[in-house]
Amino acid sequence: MADDTVKTTPVTTENGKKFLWSFQPKSGKDAGESIVRNFLLHWFPAKVAERSLSWSYSFYLGTITFALFLILVITGIVLMFLYVPSVERAYQSVKDIENVVSFGWFIRAMHRNATHLMVIFIFLHMVRVFLTAGYKNGLGSGQLRPVNWIIGVVLLLVTLFLAFTGYLLPWDQLAFWAVTVGTDIARTIPLIGDEVRYILIGGHEIDQNTLIRFYVLHCFFLPLLTVILIVYHFWRIRKDGGLASYDTVVNAQDKIREKNGGGKKTYSLLGITKGRTVEVETTTRNEESITVNSVPNLIRRVGLVMLATFVFVAVLSLFLHAPLEEPANPDITPNPAKAPWYFLWLQELVTITTFNLFGITFDGGFIGGVLIPGVLLVFLCVWPFMDKSSKETTGVWFTKDRWRQNLVFILICFAIILLTIIGTYMRGPFWEFYLPWESWPDLPGIL
Amino acid sequence: MRNKYSKDTFVLYSIGFLGLAATLFLFVKEQTPEWKNYQKEFIAYVDNHLGPERSAGIETGIHQLWVKDLNRVDRCVTCHIGYNWEGLENAPHPFRTHPRKIFEHHPVEEYGCTICHGGQGFALTEREAHGFIEDWHEPLLGRELEQLYRITDRNVLLQINCNTCHRYDRQTPGADYINLAKDVVREKNCRACHQINERGGVLGPDLTAAGEKPPEQKDFSRVGRPMTAFNWHLAHYNDPRMITPESLMPSFGFTYRERVALTMLTLSWRDVDLPVRYYPQTTEVLADRPTPEEIERERMMREGEGAFFVEQQCFLCHSVNVFNVFAATDIAPDLSRSAENVRRRLGISVEQFLKNPIGTMAAVLGTQISLTDEEKVRAAELLEQANEKYYELQRSAELNNQ
Repeated sequence: MADDTVKTTPVTTENGKKFLWSFQPKSGKDAGESIVRNFLLHWFPAKVAERSLSWSYSFYLGTITFALFLILVITGIVLMFLYVPSVERAYQSVKDIENVVSFGWFIRAMHRNATHLMVIFIFLHMVRVFLTAGYKNGLGSGQLRPVNWIIGVVLLLVTLFLAFTGYLLPWDQLAFWAVTVGTDIARTIPLIGDEVRYILIGGHEIDQNTLIRFYVLHCFFLPLLTVILIVYHFWRIRKDGGLASYDTVVNAQDKIREKNGGGKKTYSLLGITKGRTVEVETTTRNEESITVNSVPNLIRRVGLVMLATFVFVAVLSLFLHAPLEEPANPDITPNPAKAPWYFLWLQELVTITTFNLFGITFDGGFIGGVLIPGVLLVFLCVWPFMDKSSKETTGVWFTKDRWRQNLVFILICFAIILLTIIGTYMRGPFWEFYLPWESWPDLPGIL
Repeated sequence: MRNKYSKDTFVLYSIGFLGLAATLFLFVKEQTPEWKNYQKEFIAYVDNHLGPERSAGIETGIHQLWVKDLNRVDRCVTCHIGYNWEGLENAPHPFRTHPRKIFEHHPVEEYGCTICHGGQGFALTEREAHGFIEDWHEPLLGRELEQLYRITDRNVLLQINCNTCHRYDRQTPGADYINLAKDVVREKNCRACHQINERGGVLGPDLTAAGEKPPEQKDFSRVGRPMTAFNWHLAHYNDPRMITPESLMPSFGFTYRERVALTMLTLSWRDVDLPVRYYPQTTEVLADRPTPEEIERERMMREGEGAFFVEQQCFLCHSVNVFNVFAATDIAPDLSRSAENVRRRLGISVEQFLKNPIGTMAAVLGTQISLTDEEKVRAAELLEQANEKYYELQRSAELNNQ
């Protein structure tokens, strides 16, 4: 596809003062410069491969996740002005946000909904990268895609921990007991379980120490860590030559050329660098046929995705409000007491792995709560180094070469999703199993 | 020539317009809360009934009573805006003036609304503020619940909350149901078995914080609907052993009014942390302390001829009238003539009976009260003495009559 943005009519804002601002580059050079001279856009390449730009390759899951993070930062900063992190005042301040702060309920709903969506989308993003083998190095030297994959896994964990620390802050029954269940899982780590829980909650009971600890983690350390990791994550994408799909397209082009009798150029940049960078590699190819200018095509699409994410979260929040149960009461355990939904697959695993054999009860806390997720996490981090499939599978959906590992990965993902659904919708009072159409027994009230 | 990405622009603008529509919707929703309608109606009502000069001064917006000491904020007055107006005594709710007399000792600035009435003070919609929602367990103590529990009198249930502060009163002016329940507690001597306000026996559960007990810990299998602690107590006070078969508590044949009153009193016994000044300055007459007569009676029981039966807790069920030992309840027979009765009905001595009891006493002596052999011999001696004293008293009574 030829770059036809060069021919567009020049639109300037210099004398028009138009109601709708627009910019269209006059030439390829103009398009490239517009990227470089803008601070917000400078991390984008001047040109982008059409395959990388397509909806069907990435589904823009990473962009959506980032947009959700931005929503969380913006709404979170507003909430920080209103929320009081003390056991005496936390619940009241959240009630005030819900009831009397202008648009407070809406901002809190956006924060809550964006959290849930971010957990979902970061998971989907990981699934996409795995299934397209996006973590594999393709062309050129200096690629460290496995490292970026591990950064991504850490970002997933940090996101979960961010969501978990935020869960406690409203200091209602839902918060208090979800964190009780969550931190009790940490207790089952052998030898150091009690110490881990002690450090996590700042004492033996979930109280003011826990609240301030979670608050500082939630509002400062974890967001800061996320920003640092995201920046590195994005920078690595550029450094590794863009999305992995680009390598595939170039590979395909090489093959055609070889078939037509063309040879590979083998020089390195001025003979100085070791190997060839992706940039050098790509400039030797017919870039025009596989790329388009980032301005406006990529910028517009990223803007579109981010706006769509924002509007979706906003519309959702108009109708789906953030819950706030009764004030936290350590003496009254809700029945059932559930961890936050994204940890319910773990709670479910704990249930499944707790069994009685020959009169001895095996506590599933360790197997289901620590061992299985721990092993999965280790495999997730080392898998790029164990994946021995050919380089040609890089950046391609469901290649034959990788069908076995894709299948196992999909099965594990489905198992996690299934356990989460069971834990969320099918576990009633006393953690009994109920099918979705079965009603739970009524629980008594006071009046 | 338009390229294949140019339709992105169309989608971008479409989403932008959707966002704009959502913003407008949000703005309209935020600008039209339920309470604004009530305030508009209130202004119109005052305009019609009290004249435009009074309606002109009405301040609109969210109103709240913030009681720092009680850690409460009550926004009820946003809709119940006429609560302290004169001249609206007969207005419809939510505009009606609150009865003034109660404010003399309970200034609204120091108490707010919900500490007495229940409900959710934070909220600004009727449904949420009246608290009949899943996430709020302190609903408005008003007509809805009184109808649910078939209470014919009005303004009854909020007396539960009166007793939060007034729990140490013997009688609280205006709280007739709570007063009735307190009378019953004294008459039936509930303290014989139960601790109440940290004073009393240990045979039954401590009731000092009975209102705090989570309803999930109660067995509702023999209680009808609604499944609430209130209903559980109502049924339990009707026939305790029907609700909890293992209970020792007898059925006292309470009337429905008494059962409602006792249920309210039980639920009022909560572990609430209040600033000291909220507890009424009770006089000796009001304070729920034993009277001198009651103290003297208890002393005589503890130190008199029948002290043994008090010490061993037999008196919880049995009186020994001849020794001036009076049972807490009338659940079991007087022991004054038990030696004679055992001989007549079972053909054995009372000592033999105590060593090999049958029927209910087998259960009581097996589980509730354990006596050593020496204590059983002592009990038998005392019961024989009681029997003799019974006839002595009867003879002297006959002589006196003659």
